[in-house]
Amino acid sequence: MFGGLHAPRALPDAGALVALARSFTPRVEAHGPTPVLLDLSGLGRLWPTPHALGQALLDAAAARAIEAQAALAFTRETALVVACACPGLHVVPAGGEAAALAPLPLALLDATAEQQELFARWGLRTIGDLARLPPAALAARLGPEGPRLVHRARGEDAGAFVNAPLPERFETTLELDWPVEGLEPLAFLLTRVLEPLTAALAARGAKAAALAVELGLSDATTHARSLHPAAPSGDARTWRTLVLLDLELHPPRDAIVRVTLRASPTPARAAQFSLLDPALPSPERLAETLARLHDWTASGRCGSPQLVDTHRPGAFAVSSFAPGPLPRGRPEAARPAPRVALRAYRPPRLAHVLTKAGAPSFVGAPGVRGAVTAAAGPWRVSGDWWDSAFSREEWDVSLAGGIALRVFLDRLRGCWYVEGELD
Amino acid sequence: MRAATLPALPWTTFDDVRSPCPEQRVESTGAVQEPAAASVAERKRALEDLLRARRLQAEAPPLRGEDRRRQPLATGIAELDALLAGGFPRGEQSEIHGPASSGRTGVLLALLARTTGMGALAALVDPLDRLDPASAAAAGVDLARLLWLRGPRGSGEEPPLKTLAQATGAVATLAGAGLFDVVALDLAGADHERRRLPGSTWLRLQRVVENTATALVTLADGHVACSPGGRALALEPLELRFSGPPGPACLLKALRARARAGRHGLRTAELVLAAV
Repeated sequence: MFGGLHAPRALPDAGALVALARSFTPRVEAHGPTPVLLDLSGLGRLWPTPHALGQALLDAAAARAIEAQAALAFTRETALVVACACPGLHVVPAGGEAAALAPLPLALLDATAEQQELFARWGLRTIGDLARLPPAALAARLGPEGPRLVHRARGEDAGAFVNAPLPERFETTLELDWPVEGLEPLAFLLTRVLEPLTAALAARGAKAAALAVELGLSDATTHARSLHPAAPSGDARTWRTLVLLDLELHPPRDAIVRVTLRASPTPARAAQFSLLDPALPSPERLAETLARLHDWTASGRCGSPQLVDTHRPGAFAVSSFAPGPLPRGRPEAARPAPRVALRAYRPPRLAHVLTKAGAPSFVGAPGVRGAVTAAAGPWRVSGDWWDSAFSREEWDVSLAGGIALRVFLDRLRGCWYVEGELD
Repeated sequence: MRAATLPALPWTTFDDVRSPCPEQRVESTGAVQEPAAASVAERKRALEDLLRARRLQAEAPPLRGEDRRRQPLATGIAELDALLAGGFPRGEQSEIHGPASSGRTGVLLALLARTTGMGALAALVDPLDRLDPASAAAAGVDLARLLWLRGPRGSGEEPPLKTLAQATGAVATLAGAGLFDVVALDLAGADHERRRLPGSTWLRLQRVVENTATALVTLADGHVACSPGGRALALEPLELRFSGPPGPACLLKALRARARAGRHGLRTAELVLAAV
C-alpha cells in the first residue's frame, strides 16, 4: 500500500514533509517539497488498519505544526492525486482507484499546459472523462503521452518508485583519548579529520563553502568557530591552515577533548580556462594569504582601492580583493605617461599659511615648513551642498627646500591645510 | 546552386582563430560543409603563429604556465628601464629612494601600472596610508588588481614601530604567497622609525623573496636594503616646471628628476613626470 501526503499551505521548511515521511518509512518519493509518496509496505504490523496508519500520519504532521492531508491507496498515482485533492484522510479500497479519481478535476493530473488546454477544448473536465477515452485514439493524437495520461487517470501506475536520496551531512567527529592543549598537536589531529571530510566532498564533486568547527573542551563547554573563506575549497591543507589561523586568533579556553568539523557543501567551481589570458590566482591560495593578513583584513585596512563617483577631493572606497579576468579587447597602447603622484596626508594637516597678493608665500605645518618659491592656483572645488558641503581653494606650491605640496584653503572653516606631497 | 564564400579574415586575435574558416562554403540552403583537412592544418598553424607572436611580446599577459621568472619588471619609463637594465628583477629585493618630491611615488605607480596592466597582481603595503587612489588610477594602475594594505588612521606623520613591524611581516606573507608580481613597501616619510627595525628584517625579506617570481620593491627616503641581484634607484629632484608666471592661469606642469642606478650611482638618467 502507498500513502500520499500533501501540505496545502506553505511549509516551515522545504524538507519538512520529507522528514516527516522518513519517520515512518525509509522509502519516500518526493515531488518537490510537497506532495510526497510513502511506501507503506510492512507497516501493517504496527498499525492494524489503514485508517489507523493514516491517522498516525496526520497526527505526526500536526505535532510538527504541518497542516497536511493524506490518502492511502494501492497505487501510487491514486494516493498522490487523492492526497492533493481531498482534505483530511482518505483510504481508497483495492479496485476502487478509478472510481476515486473519476470526479476529481483534470488539472490535478500531471499534464502540460498545452495538453490541459487541448483537453479543455475537447470538453474534458474531470479525470474520469479522460479515463473513459480509448488509449489508442489518444496515442494517435498525443503520441506516447496520450496512453500514459489515460493509465494515470485510471489509477494505474507506470514507471518505478524513485526513492528520494537521503540528505548528506559532511561531518566528522574525533573523540580524543586524552585532552590536547595547544595548536601544534591539534594540527595533526585536524589533518586526520579533514582528509576524510574533503575526500567525501570530492567523491560528490563538491567543495566546502564554509566549515563549522566545534571543539569540545575539558570543562564540558564547546568552543565553536565558523569559517567562510572568499572561495570554496576542497583542499584539506588549505582548510587546516585556515582553521589554525583562526584558532590562533580565537584560542579555546581549555584543553580539547573532541573535534567536530561540519562542511557546507557547494558544487565545485567550473572554470573555463583561456589559452591567451593570464592565469587568475588560485582562490584557495588567495583566501589563505588573506587569512594570514588577519591583522589588516579584520580592521578593514586591506583590499582594492576604488574610485567613488563624486567630485569630493580624496574620496575613495576600499573593496574586497577579488581580481577578475582581464577585459577582452583592451587597447594595449592606452597606457598613460608617468605622472606626478600625490602622497596624501590623512587627515590633511592643519597649516599656518601666509599669503601675499592672495597667493601663499609661506607654509608651516607639522613636518613641512618653508617659504613658497612658486605657486600654481587657485583651483576652486565645491560641492555636496545638500549633504556635508565642501568648498576649497587648492594651490600646488613649491617650498624653498625643494618639496612640492598641495595646500588648500577650506573656505567654509577659513583654515589652511596641507593635503599631501607631490612626488 | 549558388555558393557563397566567407571573406578571408586576418589571423590577429584568438577570436578570429575560433571564427569560421575562410575555406568554409555556405550553400544557399544554409548548411555548412565540414572544413577540409587542409583548413584544419591552417588553423593549427595560425594558432601556433599567434602563440609565438604573443610570447615575443613582453607586454602581453603571461600565458598560462609560462615562466617569466627571469624577465625583469619594467616601469614603462624608457630612460629608467634602460638605466635598470630592463627593470626591477624578480626574486630580488630592490629599492627606490630619494627625498620628497623627487618622483619616487610616480615611478612606483608607473611600475604598478605596468604590472597590473599586464594582468598580473600587485600589492602595496602602505603603513603611513599615503596612497592616493586617484593618482594611482591616473597613472594607469588597474585598481582591481592592486591589494592595498593601509596603516592605521593617524599613523601618517610618523608611524609607531609596531606598525612598521606589522608591515614588514605582511610583506613577507605577500612575497611568500607567490601570487603577486610586485610587492611594494612604502616607507617614505618613516625614516626615523625605519632605522629602529632590526637589521635582520631586510635579510629575512630577501630570503623570503628569492626563488620566487615576485619583485620586492622598497620605497624610502634613503638607502634601506637591496639584495645582490636587486636594483637600487636613487632619485634626486631637479626642478618643478610651471606653465607660466605665477597667476590665476598657472599650472604645475611637470617634475624633472635625476635617477642614479647601482650601488655607487655611476649610471644616471633624467626623467620627467607630467603633472597635468
